[in-house]
Amino acid sequence: MMMKSSHPAARPYARGRSLWDDARDRLCRNRAAMVSLLFLLLMVVACFLLPLCPCIPNPNETDLGNIAASCSWEHPFGTDQLGRDLLARVLYGGRISLLVGVVATGVALVIGLLYGLVSGYVGGRTDALMMRTVDVLFALPFIVLVIVFSLSIEEPSRRLTEWVVQTTGWTRETVAPILGLVPLFIAIGALGWLTLARIVRTQTMEIKSQEYVLAARSLGLGHVRILLRHIAPNLLGTVVVYTTLAVPGIILTESTLSFIGLGVKAPNSSWGTLIKEGADRMEVTPELLIFPSVFFCLTLLALNFLGDGLRDALDPRSSKD
Amino acid sequence: MIRLLLRRLGQGVLVVFVLETITFFLVRMLPGNPFLGERKLPEHIMQQLQSLYGLEESAWVQYWNYWKNILLHGDFGPSLIREGVPVSEMIAQAFPVSFLLGVLGMAIAMAVGIPAGMLSAYYRNRWPDALLMCVAMAGICIPAFVVAPLFGMTLGMHVPGLSVAGWDDALCVVLPALTLGLINAAYLARLTRGGMAEVLSQDFVRTAKAKGCRPLRVLFVHALRSGLLPAVSYLGPAFAALITGSFVVETCFQVPGMGLHFVNATTDRDYFLIQGLVLCYGVLIVLANLCVDLALLVLNPRLRSQGSA
Repeated sequence: MMMKSSHPAARPYARGRSLWDDARDRLCRNRAAMVSLLFLLLMVVACFLLPLCPCIPNPNETDLGNIAASCSWEHPFGTDQLGRDLLARVLYGGRISLLVGVVATGVALVIGLLYGLVSGYVGGRTDALMMRTVDVLFALPFIVLVIVFSLSIEEPSRRLTEWVVQTTGWTRETVAPILGLVPLFIAIGALGWLTLARIVRTQTMEIKSQEYVLAARSLGLGHVRILLRHIAPNLLGTVVVYTTLAVPGIILTESTLSFIGLGVKAPNSSWGTLIKEGADRMEVTPELLIFPSVFFCLTLLALNFLGDGLRDALDPRSSKD
Repeated sequence: MIRLLLRRLGQGVLVVFVLETITFFLVRMLPGNPFLGERKLPEHIMQQLQSLYGLEESAWVQYWNYWKNILLHGDFGPSLIREGVPVSEMIAQAFPVSFLLGVLGMAIAMAVGIPAGMLSAYYRNRWPDALLMCVAMAGICIPAFVVAPLFGMTLGMHVPGLSVAGWDDALCVVLPALTLGLINAAYLARLTRGGMAEVLSQDFVRTAKAKGCRPLRVLFVHALRSGLLPAVSYLGPAFAALITGSFVVETCFQVPGMGLHFVNATTDRDYFLIQGLVLCYGVLIVLANLCVDLALLVLNPRLRSQGSA
């Protein structure tokens, strides 16, 4: 395991190259992925830090002197029909979209990982049953279920908001916008784990049959320990790749829901809501459609390129060519 | 092979049954009920409405009655919002619209996506490949709800005869079908390229080239058959999803199809309509997957021996 030079005096310690080092180098050589990574970092900074700076106005504040204005120094992207600054709205919308993307993916990741691990490791009849369940869930009309599900957990989440307000003493105005997103997080995440569960299961089955797992078993290790210490770490590469590739899909789902009017509720707005508002008024002020769309599409593009790059770097066998 | 298909059909029936059961209980968990309108109804009228549609019974009794009506009388229940109109009639009106859009959209997707994918695989890692795959990636990342208004703004406003919304004359089909087609074309192109690229790097293709086969013959005769496998597996479910209506495209262009019903029925809590739509969707998905299995058996002889074994 340890690589040591035979002449410690000449070269005291030669650091070994792990597979992760190789993967990182491969990723760094992929120009599209690196540009995407840079772009995403910029986008995160823009959406989460830039609004803290006083030069960005409040996205819900109306500038009555400039209604439906086009681009100017005061309002770089113009304003909407209520005189709200579009740049600020796009940045705040990005916050919600990115947040939903990351948190809902996190929910999906936890469910999918556990489900796939158990299904693949236990095998046999349990596995067959669990995988048939996934097949059935795959056949469900995804959007319908998300809608029904998010509506049916709206009431419990309202109670959660009340509870948080009472126990912490924060004002409802600060708590409500964030907790209002919880049904969406859960609904999208709870239905987005299927592909990941399948992939994790296949990998688990492959790893399970390796000799070192048998060795661990024969040393008397428990199943939980084997799963967590010996199988899960070896899944990491695959999981990272497919999680990255899942984020754009989940952001897209959220925006589609918001576009139909069933996702993010006012006063919050995501890119989907902004695109909807823009589409309604595109003959008069096309900027309202174009700016949010450009931000949205570029972010999805960057996430996809990064995911492809990660796949080529971490999982060279399954890459496209 | 017959046995394989029968088993798939049996699984399909089970899937539809489970799907319908989940939907049945989920929609009843939704807060609110179909009769909460703008005007608040008096308590006793609300109760009468509930008992008229049998909604005051327990969920299990309702569930039993629902299946009994379908299986014995072929009755999918009434729509709760559009009083007196049976669900089967609403679906019978909306389905042809979505079906037409879906078929046209799929035709466009295949006509654009598969050749693009083949071209890309043929020029693998050269500039036509890079160009086509960039366009395809963009097509995947630009969602329908951006494409639809953009088409409306550019084509719909300037090309005479095209209409931006509605469903009155033949030309109304063009923009929604184009939107559906181009978005699916992007997926198809990527899948076709992936499948073809893998086949083109296999030994038998090299052998074919070595014995002096013309490149186009290699592409179309030797490689196409197995190179299309990934695209075919995608086509089935995508087709089923398309002909049951796309929410976004139908909302954008105000097309009175199944997708619009799906969204409205859910927001209006029209229990029977949602259940009917989901049933229809489930049956179509199962049938589409069955067709994919058949097509894969035709395209890939290796599966045939596995299936009968």
